Amino acid sequence: MPHDLPNPNVEASRSSDRPTENMSAAGDMGLLTRIQSGDQEAMSALFDRYGTMVYSVALRVLKDAGEAEDVMQEIFVQVWKNPGAFVSGKGSLSGWLVVVARNRAIDMIRRRRSTEQVELFALPSSTNLAREAERNSLLGKIRGVMGSLPEEQRKSVELAFFEGLSHSEIAEKTGDPLGTVKTRIRLALTTIRKALTV
Amino acid sequence: MSTKPHIPQEDLALYAMQALTPEEQQAAQAHLDECAYCRAALLDAMTDVAAVGLSAEQKALPEGARQRLMARIANTPQAAAPAPRPVAVEPVREERTTGFGLGWLGWAAALAMLAVAAYLGYGNHQLQQQLSEDRGQIARLTASANRAEELTEALTSPAAKQVTLTETKRPDQPVGHATYLPAKGALIFVASNLRPVPENKTYELWLIPANGKAPMPAGLFRPDASGSASVVLPTLPQGVEAKAFGVTIEDAQGSATPTLPIVMAGQ
Repeated sequence: MPHDLPNPNVEASRSSDRPTENMSAAGDMGLLTRIQSGDQEAMSALFDRYGTMVYSVALRVLKDAGEAEDVMQEIFVQVWKNPGAFVSGKGSLSGWLVVVARNRAIDMIRRRRSTEQVELFALPSSTNLAREAERNSLLGKIRGVMGSLPEEQRKSVELAFFEGLSHSEIAEKTGDPLGTVKTRIRLALTTIRKALTV
Repeated sequence: MSTKPHIPQEDLALYAMQALTPEEQQAAQAHLDECAYCRAALLDAMTDVAAVGLSAEQKALPEGARQRLMARIANTPQAAAPAPRPVAVEPVREERTTGFGLGWLGWAAALAMLAVAAYLGYGNHQLQQQLSEDRGQIARLTASANRAEELTEALTSPAAKQVTLTETKRPDQPVGHATYLPAKGALIFVASNLRPVPENKTYELWLIPANGKAPMPAGLFRPDASGSASVVLPTLPQGVEAKAFGVTIEDAQGSATPTLPIVMAGQ
């Protein structure tokens, strides 16, 4: 299965976002550094910055406010316990928090069903959202892109992300061929990537 | 270098979401351990996945959530900083944990520790942020300068070995030129008039050591529309004298050993 990426120009193509990303990342790292020295105000600031985002992702997955708050709290408490674990060179804190929130929430769903567990591993991402205006602009853009996706593509990628379904499970649920599901997800992610890099 | 096909983009996205089957997840992890190309692609996939998460409608926090968290924070001791891990450790490989045990909290503390060292003693938050920005910029510029310096040295050093590679069967057609500095393990290879290779194939450059050891892979390359290609500073050990250089055609993911015929060679 040859991989037809490569995408060597991704970083360059996202260069328009770099100055703000760098500044945002620096702000995040500054907060994490203060948190590491036991600064609760910095922890509070980090929560103000990303708490809603983390909670919203968890809520979208879990559909239960109490459980979503539990997930959110656990993530931020772990950040408090060991803020040095996040390495800025590997990506952005914001993107990482989003995916961690999603994985923790999916984990909670699966634990409702069985002992199956989603690993929580470090997930870097180059999406930075530290600045309010930047965040609002990016969120609006992403939602716009998601809303403009063909229904089947949007549904497939949402089933994968928010419902935690595999390709096979999505195919089974929708009645579509496995290859079709894969193609839809790939096209959806490609569309999102293009939208974020222009 | 991995000899297996690269992981498709959609599978990388599912890997990031841990939506592959356990067997697929394990296979992907094994491949990622060996394939820098797929690790780089994984970063892009993760960015895309995070973007999907950001499409979730933002909901107001439950009343009192902030206070409850901060109260918990106030009663939660911070863990001692974990031992630094090598930067090369792949971030998506963490030990399985139970419950909310966060394996990710243990990885790669070195940079954060450096940041802490830099920030200690600076009480002003604005100064901290500015310092962080400056340090990041300096690090990037330093890395860029180091690479440029290495490149310049390899190209201009009297100790650099200059080798012209030509196609073995048609010497007046494709031409490759290798500049190699053994002491640094620095190699620059530029080729022109290359013939296209099928989508599932690639050219692979080989360094044939003077000590008679096995050929060392020195980079994959595919010609552009004009038939030109280059390999710049591939990862090579230092201090290996080269007897010759060769080029073979391999499967797209490259090979650990050259596959005959050698289509270009020079010494």
